[in-house]
Amino acid sequence: MTNGYRASAGIMLAPAVTLIGVFILLPMLLTVWLSFNDWSTQTPFSEARFVGLANFQDIFGSTSVGRDFKGALVNTAIYTALSVAIILPLSVLFGLLVYQRDVGGGTLLRTVLFSTYMVPMIAVALVWSKLYSPSEGPFNQMLGLIGIDPQPWLSSPRSALISIVLLNVWQQVGYFTVLAIAGLTQIPGSLYEAATLDGANRTEQFRFITLPLLRRTLLFSAVIAIINAVQVFEPVALITQGGPVGSTNVLTYHIRRVGIERAQGGLGSAMAVMLMLSLVVVVCALFAFMSRKDDE
Amino acid sequence: MSAPAGSSTVLSRRRPTGGKALLATLMLLVAVASAFPLVWMVLSSLKTTAESMQVPPVWFPRTPTLDAYEKVAGVVNVGRSMWNSLVIASITTAGILVTSMMAGYAFAKYSFPGRTLLFSALLATMFLPPIVTLIPLYRMVGSIGLNASLAGIIVPNLANAFGIFLMRQFIAGVPDDLIDAARMDGASELLILFKIVAPTVAPAIAALALFAFVYHWNSYLWPLTVLQGNADSYPIVISLSRLLSYNRGAMNTGLVMAGATLAVLPPLILFAFLQRFFVDSIVSSAVKG
Repeated sequence: MTNGYRASAGIMLAPAVTLIGVFILLPMLLTVWLSFNDWSTQTPFSEARFVGLANFQDIFGSTSVGRDFKGALVNTAIYTALSVAIILPLSVLFGLLVYQRDVGGGTLLRTVLFSTYMVPMIAVALVWSKLYSPSEGPFNQMLGLIGIDPQPWLSSPRSALISIVLLNVWQQVGYFTVLAIAGLTQIPGSLYEAATLDGANRTEQFRFITLPLLRRTLLFSAVIAIINAVQVFEPVALITQGGPVGSTNVLTYHIRRVGIERAQGGLGSAMAVMLMLSLVVVVCALFAFMSRKDDE
Repeated sequence: MSAPAGSSTVLSRRRPTGGKALLATLMLLVAVASAFPLVWMVLSSLKTTAESMQVPPVWFPRTPTLDAYEKVAGVVNVGRSMWNSLVIASITTAGILVTSMMAGYAFAKYSFPGRTLLFSALLATMFLPPIVTLIPLYRMVGSIGLNASLAGIIVPNLANAFGIFLMRQFIAGVPDDLIDAARMDGASELLILFKIVAPTVAPAIAALALFAFVYHWNSYLWPLTVLQGNADSYPIVISLSRLLSYNRGAMNTGLVMAGATLAVLPPLILFAFLQRFFVDSIVSSAVKG
């Protein structure tokens, strides 16, 4: 650590701080300000007209604006909860498969799993739209082989959202597996030896050593998975356009449609503020829940 | 008496042969499920139109053909789009490397008032979904005349919190003596950063470069919003999205899969060569964070 280099510190920090300040922090503050204004995205910011909480009343109201937004909020919540609930347990299972040393090939498995994370989401969406194809798609063909009726996948309001969750899980699980492996390597092997001497079987060791010591990793994974999940856009924009019957209308897609395509900047900003607040609440609740468990 | 890491996990001690077979089967299943979509993508891109429309489907093309790739080239300007993607990803990556190394160095090696507060404020932006800033950012970039151009895609992304965080973590591990010795010799701070500090954290720089490149090669939401239909500036992922509407139904499966294969190749090739850096940096961002 060096004192007396304040001028240098200023020079070193200037590019990053300026860029992040201008292109992330400033627009974030503008979003908050615009959410209290009536403003068309086609016009300069100076055209914005203060309307108090009217935008928030609209997006939670009973008109189509309110119905669409509340629908998108619920869809995003379901999508996020399902993604996290599927990705986290799978990442631990896959992490154990990669980390164990009884059977070789763990590193190869990690490579295969992680490679999907490199694939552009747009390509994932394209490939899976064909995999899900009701008539000639491979998924229904494979189900047919084991005697299961063809599924409607993306074309039914009941299964479209979960179908998008599944393609998201496929793309992301490798990343979270690597995080889980990082957590597993932190657990001292001596704990398992002591537990074995005490006669604990494998299930007990998993429950009383592995899971508790992975808690920090899982908390980190959950936060990242939530932030990633609310960003889902490509499969919806490309394949379902929010349908069928609004069942895949998620917030990132909906906010862009309202705020950019329909140029209702004030309304879109109010929705973005609600998304930001929801994230803060969920992440804080997660941390509070975990620290309470730590106290027990 | 602690065993080396990895030798003593839940799944690993005194496993009977039957258990090993089960474990191997499970691993194989997971690998196949994970690899299947991409393998199917490549196989489908090599089929004839007739083969891709056949029910039940043909899994392996009988006479692999590159027809679909030719058709992609007829529908979208593949060369131009790939070039645009390369320009976007390369310049953005270069910018992120420079800004992250400089800021990471300042946070790791200088003490100045408000350091922790500033670092926390920057770090918080890492958790901000891009949609939250999209609407005003779109207007801002438009009002300075950068919309519908590659510059409009690139400029807002030249610095990010993840890069600063990663660089700070690694530069903090560089011995102060090394830096002080260079200062004695009269080297400037920028020279010290790029000539002395940078080589010692080369793996982390490689990891950040790959992350940034792949992220911005794959990025879709921001380019789509900024370009607003200016097809000359389309990166490959946007050109690709137009293939789906080109011809609905099974007719275009080969075409779409050929396009997808083209877009997937550059990030996957980079990953194949440099996956060690990717994995190491994820692990360090999780463990040290």
